[in-house]
Amino acid sequence: MRPIIKVENLSKRYHIGTSPAHRGALRYATLRESLARVASAPIRRLARGGRSGDETIWALKDVTFNVLPSEVVGIIGANGSGKSTLLKVLSRITDPTTGRVELYGRVASLLEVGTGFHPDLTGKENIYLNGAVLGMKRREIARKFDEIVAFAEIDKFLDTSVKYYSSGMYVRLAFAVAAHLDPDILIVDEVLAVGDASFQKKCLGKMDDVTKSGRTVLFVSHGMEMIAQLCQRTILMKDGRVSKVGPSREVIDHYLGL
Amino acid sequence: MGAVSRTDTDGLAEPAYDSGQALYHLPEKPLVVIEPHRSWVALNLRDLWAYREVFYFLMWRDIKVRYKQTAFGIAWAIIQPLFLMFVFAFFFGKLVRVASDGAPYPIWVYVGILPWTFFSNALANGGNSLIGNSNLITKVYFPRLLIPSAAIAAGLLDFSIAFALLLAFIPFYGLGLTWGMLMLPPLVLLVTVLALAVGTWTAALNARYRDVRHALPFAIQLWMFATPIIYPLSIVPDEYRWVIALNPLTGIVEGFRAALFGWPFDWAALGFSTAVTILLLVFFVYVFRRMESSFADVI
Repeated sequence: MRPIIKVENLSKRYHIGTSPAHRGALRYATLRESLARVASAPIRRLARGGRSGDETIWALKDVTFNVLPSEVVGIIGANGSGKSTLLKVLSRITDPTTGRVELYGRVASLLEVGTGFHPDLTGKENIYLNGAVLGMKRREIARKFDEIVAFAEIDKFLDTSVKYYSSGMYVRLAFAVAAHLDPDILIVDEVLAVGDASFQKKCLGKMDDVTKSGRTVLFVSHGMEMIAQLCQRTILMKDGRVSKVGPSREVIDHYLGL
Repeated sequence: MGAVSRTDTDGLAEPAYDSGQALYHLPEKPLVVIEPHRSWVALNLRDLWAYREVFYFLMWRDIKVRYKQTAFGIAWAIIQPLFLMFVFAFFFGKLVRVASDGAPYPIWVYVGILPWTFFSNALANGGNSLIGNSNLITKVYFPRLLIPSAAIAAGLLDFSIAFALLLAFIPFYGLGLTWGMLMLPPLVLLVTVLALAVGTWTAALNARYRDVRHALPFAIQLWMFATPIIYPLSIVPDEYRWVIALNPLTGIVEGFRAALFGWPFDWAALGFSTAVTILLLVFFVYVFRRMESSFADVI
């Protein structure tokens, strides 16, 4: 069986201790020169004057793994171990420094609930906007609209600006849109812990449906029970490297020091 | 808890998953390859096309949000250029008596204000669009070029409304239809592309150097004085005229006036504006694409 996600020697370096203008300075040296010549020479000189050290940190280092179609894979690790950076690279939000990823399917990534929600727009308008930003086609959103509204339980407030929503209503709506995405590969970052207990249960149920529908899911969480329940395999990240891969229980037990 | 019976495989080789495999017919070639940034980047038109609905929704959002919770709503599209016209007509038309090439000063200046208002708003909105959408940039992928493009394209609605008012002025000032008006669509296209070129570049610079945000209003103000909006090109002494003529907006604004008043076009100036606009577009979009992948890290 061929993998649907192939990650080979993926590394990502960040520059720290320098001004934001110099992050990525190594990669953009040529551009910076050309820009400087054209327009920003004075700005650049100013910025260089205030330059501190040029320390770098590897947020990801030689990460290699494969994911097979229909697999649900958990990613765990301490804060700063590179989980979120990995998801960001896989979601094409940021470039890797070295390495390569091949994706053999349509990807939707869910790194936060309500990405692109605008407070001044109504619930209905935000469903369309958010859906489009997450990669749904307009027709697809229209088709699933009633389902989304029913799932979020906000039908009375559809024409109200979301800035007047309670925080619970807001996250319910946001999760409802996301839950109706239909990609081949779903990348999820710790977004399930939203709403009250009954809505959380509903979310978990939905997540369970998604994982059983044959979709490939990459799932970052600190909720070990959730990982154990939803994922067959788990990747443990440590200091930007893959420290252990295997059946979820084993990896979780290892991580918790059991 | 943890009613999982999946611990029987070693996970690395053949993970245990039940049904569903048959659902996938994996393509031979990957749909997406993620690699480090290369030094030469393509425009990737296919990607832009694939995400055209995001462009549409971003533009729609920018239009919707702009006049939410305002008392006058979309009327602001007219109020802004109209009041500028009154102010300029009073100070420059009446008090200073600036020449206006024979046309009535108020409508003459209004014709200049129209493309200028569109251009300056496009530059301001486009230039701040990446920063304003940083929540999208750090959380979801789509071609970033769509963000400034949508912000700039959204201004076309205001432009159309202000333009409709101009058409209402025409009989009032005893002007007729001219063949030159056929040049209006290409002129609108030209000013849009110019705004797109400068706006995307400003947006990209702004994402990395916040100095841009402070310099931008000031730069826009200066640019207005370098463009024959409130004064005609004809009163600029010959020795300074080349400065004004280097500005690609000059040919466009003069073109708008020629089109509406039935004056002869300065084809050389228009050709120069077009050439500069295309060059700027190619270069600035290239710069934008080069910087694009770092936006999420620096914004």
